[in-house]
Amino acid sequence: MKPVAITGLGAVTACGIGVDRLWTAARDGISAVRDVTFPRIRRQQVKRAARLAEDDLAAITAAGNPRFQDRTTMVALAATREAIARAGLGAGDFGERCGVVVGSGFGGAETIERNYVRFIEDPDGRSDPMAIPKIMTSSAASWIAMEFKATGPTLCISTACSSATQSIGVAADLIRAGLVDRCLAGGSEVLLVDGVFSSWESLHVMTTTQCRPFSKDRTGMVLGEGAGIVVLESVEAARARGAEILAELVGYGSTADAADLLRPDPAGATACIRRAIDGAGIDPARIGYCNAHGTGTIANDITETQALRTVFGEAFDGLLVSSTKPIHGHALGAGGALEFIVTVVALRAQIAPPTIGFLGVDPKIGFEPVPNVARPFSADAAMSNSFAFGGINASLVVTLPGRG
Amino acid sequence: MAGGDEELRRELLKIVAEEGMVENRDITADQRLDEIGIQSADFVMILMAIEERFGVYVPVDERLTEAKTVADLLDVVCSHIDNHRRQEAS
Repeated sequence: MKPVAITGLGAVTACGIGVDRLWTAARDGISAVRDVTFPRIRRQQVKRAARLAEDDLAAITAAGNPRFQDRTTMVALAATREAIARAGLGAGDFGERCGVVVGSGFGGAETIERNYVRFIEDPDGRSDPMAIPKIMTSSAASWIAMEFKATGPTLCISTACSSATQSIGVAADLIRAGLVDRCLAGGSEVLLVDGVFSSWESLHVMTTTQCRPFSKDRTGMVLGEGAGIVVLESVEAARARGAEILAELVGYGSTADAADLLRPDPAGATACIRRAIDGAGIDPARIGYCNAHGTGTIANDITETQALRTVFGEAFDGLLVSSTKPIHGHALGAGGALEFIVTVVALRAQIAPPTIGFLGVDPKIGFEPVPNVARPFSADAAMSNSFAFGGINASLVVTLPGRG
Repeated sequence: MAGGDEELRRELLKIVAEEGMVENRDITADQRLDEIGIQSADFVMILMAIEERFGVYVPVDERLTEAKTVADLLDVVCSHIDNHRRQEAS
């Protein structure tokens, strides 16, 4: 696969506003998971999540347009502004040669919630006339296109936890196909509101204690929220404007289990990881770090480990694998972008962030996922995985510039 | 058998049958869950019904994932309910 340049990164997470806050928290193992209260849930069973800080949300809302934009959009715009500033893009770099591929699993959750509550309390009252354009999952993508006058293909990929990873992969495909020179790509998800959290509780996959990916005695995942946006460009376009290339996207794989709605299938995950590495055309042994999907559920972590072992073979022992979800939470439709950003920064820093909360090896998994403390590594390639409910898998492989 | 009186286990069996959409008279404790067609989505429905009835949150943890038979499932759920009741009592 022809490499695609990564020139800008932007993130808003429960760790704070900006990639630096996300990376510092990930590297140092500082969790943004806090006690959360949802007053409308009568019997709240799960009490922990990585929610955006109130001050951060207030600052983002003040800089946004809340009458026309849900939080999901405002947070996506904040991340996009950071990514574009980092990339050094100017007004002349957008237009029809710039696409937008920004996913979301849920869309405008807070707007949905507020409108339903208002409707139930007062069915004769007036709904928010902007509710529909605020709620639609493509709203963030459209607002990004509007703010920067990016008039190329604009898409919203909504595939649950794989939304952002597929968005980045498809954006790279658009660039490689020559349809655009650059793309703003990633995902946004801000859904920690009463009704949605209650529905997540009903799935019984969240832990009531602590998220411990790959660990013995793990009991489930922890939710997060935020947005991650990256600037992708053809290497030629990046060079032509003298941009610093942070890393190169060299492999993208995506498969469907086509099996069970909720239970992951190792065959689907294996095929996905293999496709990404084959596409990159590199020896798996060159990949030094993998930011795993690593949700902390029993099923995902066993399945993902099986898949990695199958694809990496003997090289698995030299691969550092960690999940940063206990730090920023599982941000669903934004998760893949946040973790891709962590992967890129980790590769540049040559530091694998830790899996915090790790208690010991689960015999069914049989390895240690960079337990509790970051570890340096020496390699020029890294990867990130996302495996969604619905059996939709996506993996990305990156290298340092010029190494693809 | 990990806790749970007969009445509780009968009630749970009924929930498993209802939520798993299996005929109650056809379900017995020694049957394998996959044989009677209980899949991942049915598990979630069963756990929600149990939470509604008994007020106990049963996460999909290792023991639950390992459950192969109806009896295994009932054992896990009964131990959560027993724990919950002990906590409520204390």
